[in-house]
Amino acid sequence: MMRPARIAQLAFVAAFALTGAAPAPKPVASPAEALRFPRASLTDLGSMKLQAESDGDARLSGVQVFFGAGLDRQTTVQSGVAALAAECIARTPVDGAPLRDAIAAGGGTLAYTIDARAARYYLEARSEDLPAILGLFARALAAPDFSAGTVEAARRALSARVTEIESDPRSVGVEMFRRSYYTAGAGLPAFGTTASLASLGANDVTAFYGAQYRRGGVSVSAVGRGTPEITAAIRRLGDAVPAGTLAPVASKARPIPENAPRIVARRDIGAPLVVVGFAAPSPGSKDFGAMLVLESLLANSFERTSATTLGSVQRSVGASYLYDGSPAGVVVYVNGGRVDATVVIRELFIVSKSLGTRPLGADSLRHFKMAAEGAFVTDAISLSDRSYFLGTLRAQGLGADAINAALASIERTTAADVQRVSKKYLQRYIVALVLPRTAPVGS
Amino acid sequence: MKRGRFSILAAVLVAVTGSTGSAAALPNLGSNVSVRQLATGTTAIVQTLGGPPVAAVELWYRAPSTGFGTKPVPSLARLAAQVVAASKPLVGTALGELVKNSGGRLGISVYGDAIEIAAVVPANAARDVVRTMTRAYFAPVMTDTGFKIAQSDVAQEAVFESFNPATVARDAVFSSLFASGPQHYPALGSVRDLSAITLADARTFATRAFRAQNAVLVVSGAVPQSIAAAAATGRSAESTLATAEEHATREIATAPEAVAKTFGEPTGGYGWVGPPISNEREATALDFIADYLFNSESGYVTRALSEGNPDAFVVGQFITLHDPGVMFVGFSGKQLDAVRAKVDDGLALMKKPLPAATFPRALAAFEYHLLHDLQTPVEMADNFGWYAVEGNPEYAPGASGSSGRYFQAIGSLTPDFVAAVAEKYLGRPPVTATLLPAPKKASETK
Repeated sequence: MMRPARIAQLAFVAAFALTGAAPAPKPVASPAEALRFPRASLTDLGSMKLQAESDGDARLSGVQVFFGAGLDRQTTVQSGVAALAAECIARTPVDGAPLRDAIAAGGGTLAYTIDARAARYYLEARSEDLPAILGLFARALAAPDFSAGTVEAARRALSARVTEIESDPRSVGVEMFRRSYYTAGAGLPAFGTTASLASLGANDVTAFYGAQYRRGGVSVSAVGRGTPEITAAIRRLGDAVPAGTLAPVASKARPIPENAPRIVARRDIGAPLVVVGFAAPSPGSKDFGAMLVLESLLANSFERTSATTLGSVQRSVGASYLYDGSPAGVVVYVNGGRVDATVVIRELFIVSKSLGTRPLGADSLRHFKMAAEGAFVTDAISLSDRSYFLGTLRAQGLGADAINAALASIERTTAADVQRVSKKYLQRYIVALVLPRTAPVGS
Repeated sequence: MKRGRFSILAAVLVAVTGSTGSAAALPNLGSNVSVRQLATGTTAIVQTLGGPPVAAVELWYRAPSTGFGTKPVPSLARLAAQVVAASKPLVGTALGELVKNSGGRLGISVYGDAIEIAAVVPANAARDVVRTMTRAYFAPVMTDTGFKIAQSDVAQEAVFESFNPATVARDAVFSSLFASGPQHYPALGSVRDLSAITLADARTFATRAFRAQNAVLVVSGAVPQSIAAAAATGRSAESTLATAEEHATREIATAPEAVAKTFGEPTGGYGWVGPPISNEREATALDFIADYLFNSESGYVTRALSEGNPDAFVVGQFITLHDPGVMFVGFSGKQLDAVRAKVDDGLALMKKPLPAATFPRALAAFEYHLLHDLQTPVEMADNFGWYAVEGNPEYAPGASGSSGRYFQAIGSLTPDFVAAVAEKYLGRPPVTATLLPAPKKASETK
C-alpha cells in the first residue's frame, strides 16, 4: 500500500547522493547562534574525576557513576557476570530494604546499564535529597550482597530481560553485529544469555566485583543543580569502592572483510529485519562530527514520508551510532515488515558508495549538519541522557565539556570530511539478518 | 495529573478574550513564565529555562475530537491536525518538513476535547517553528497531497494503537462512563472511520477549531520571553467565533454497563468518575493514590505484580479533566484474574489511612515522581497546555515551582483525607472492561 511513496523517496535520495548536489530539502533559516549546553566543569576528587553541568533552575540532579566493569572485562564464559554484579548491588539490603527500593522510597531512582566499557549507574533525586541517596549507594558498594539467594534472584530478573531482548529483532540484529565485529568481551550481549547466566554463581560474581570495581576505574558525571553536599557525597562514594586501579583493556574489532559477511538468526517474529553494521570513528577522532552527520543522513533518508515524527516502533528504517565501544560502530536497520528491505538495502549501498566518491553540495551539507546537530541536541535533554553523554564522550576523548565538543565537531565538518569518512568507513559492512523461523532458507 | 483534555483554555481564554481581557486576568504561572494575550486573541505562555539549548513549541486547542456536527466523526480532529502539518503552503515550508530539517520532532495528540501540536526543536530554530506553526494552524492551508499523506500517517497510527492494550481498555471504559459527547468515542478511531472523512470535512473542522482565538501557544526552554512575538497574526474571525470554544457537552452514563470485547491479549480496565479540575485537593489526592499504587517503578501494585506475574502490565492514572475527571486503571497479563486481584487489593488498601510511618515517605516519593516528570521543556509545556485547556492553569504541576497551587495541594494531604477521597470516588463499583482473545475454534484446539 505504501510502496509507491517509499520508492519515490528512495530514488530521490539516491539521485541527490549520486549527483552530490541539490535537490536538497530547503534548509531552515540559518541560525544566528550556535547551540551550546551549559559549560561543563571537571573537578578532581582525588582518585576520580567529577564532570558537572549545572542548571541553576533545576530542582533535580542526576549523577551517572561509571565503573570500569563493562562487557570488555568479561570473558566469553563469563558473559552476563557484569550485569549480575550490578543487579546484585541494586538488590543489596540497605536499612532493611533492597537498595533500589530504599532509594525509591526516599524519593529517588537507581538504574544501571552495562556498556561495552563500563557498568554505569544512574541516580536521580531532588538536589537536597541526593546526598542521602548517594550515601545509600555507597553503603551497598562497600558491602554488596553476592549471597547465593541474591545471585539467584538477580539471575531470574536478568533472564527475563534476556527473553525480552530476544523477542526484539532489532536488538537481536545489533547484538549479532557487535558479536561479529568485536573480538572479545565488548561484543557480548549486555545481560548475557540464559545459558551463560545459568552457569554463573556467587563466586563468579564476587570475583568479578573484586577485580573490576576499583576506585581508580570510577568516573562520575552530574547534571542539575549541583551543591557542595552532592560533591562531598560523591567523594565519599569513591571512598566506598575498594582502592586500586584497573589495567587498561585493549578493545579490538575485527577488520570488516570486503565480501560483506552475512550472519543469520531466526526468531519468532512476523517479518525479517536487516541490520547493516559499519565500523565508525570513536568520539575522540577528528572524524566524529562527519560520522554524526552521516548517521543522521542514513537514519532519515530512507524513512517513509510522514508529517509527524515516527516513534521508534513505527519506523521502518533507522540508524544508531554505537560509541560506547572502542572502536565504535554504526548500524542501519531495516524492518522488512514495513518496507521492501531489498530495495532499501540496495539504495543504502548506492548512497554509501556515492557519498564516498563525490562531495555533498553546499546546501545539502548545511541541511544534513543542521539535522545532525538538532538530533544530537534533542536526544540529550533529560538529566539521565545528559549525564550519560557527558561521561561517555569524555571517556572517549572529547574532554570535560564533551557535549559541546561534539556539537563543535559537527559544526566544523566539511563536505570533504563527509566524503573522506564515507570512503573510510561505509564501504565495508556486515549484514545481520533476523528471519522468521518459518521463512524458507534463502528467502 | 495531566492527560485530560479540556479546560484551562476556558479560564485563560475566556479571561483573555472576554470583556475584561486585561493583563490582570491572566494567570500567574511563576517568575520565569510570561502569560499574555496576543493581538490575535491567542493566549501565549512562555517559560524561559536554563539547561539544554532546546525548546518545546506547542499549540493547544479545545475542540471535540469528533467534530462540531451533530453526528460524531471519530478521528476527525486527529486527521485535520495532521493534514495541516503535512500540507505545503504556497509560500514557505510545511511545518513537518521544517521541524524535521531542524533535527527536531513533531507530534500531534488528540484527546476527547483537546488537540495538541507539539514540537521539540533546537533553541535556534524555535522562532521559525513558532512562526510556521502558528501560520499553518491559524490560517490552515490543506492540500490534496497533504490530505493523502495525513490519511496514511494517521491510518498507520490507528493500526498501532489498536494493538495497545492500555488504549483499547481506556477507550472501552470511557465509552461506557460517558453516554454522549466526545469522550464517548475514541479520539483515534478505526481505519474505516478515517477513510470516511473527506478533505472538505477536515477543512470545515480546521477552520473553526484552529482559530487563533481558540489557541494556547506554549513555548518552554532556552528561549527569550519575546519569542511569542513571532506568532502569526492569523485570519480575522467572524464575530460569533471571536472567542474560545466552550467545553464540549457530555453526559455521564447513569447505569454504565460492563464492556466485554475481543482483543489479542487478556486485558482489563476500571474507570470511575472523579472530581473536576477545580477541586484541587481531591484531584491531587487521586493523583497521589494513582502514584502510590501504580507508579511504573515503585507502585504498590506494580511491585506486587513484578514478583508474581512478571508478564503483567498495569497502568493507573487520574485523568484531570474539566468536569468530571476520571480515574482509570488498565491491566493485562496471561493470568488476568490474578492480576485483577492484585489491583483490587491495592485499591482496597487505599480506603484505609496509610500508616503514619508510611505516608510521609510516600508523599516525598510522589513529589519526586512529579519533579522527574517535569524535568524537560516538553514536559513543562505539556503541563501548561493541558491544564490551560482544562480550565485551571495555575493548578498545573510546575506552575510557580514548588510553591505553586499543585504543590500546596500536596502539602495539604493527610492519610485520613486520602482515604476519604478513595472511599468517596473509588468506593463505588467501577465501570469495567474485559478484553479477551477470541476462543479457539474446535479445529484449532485439537
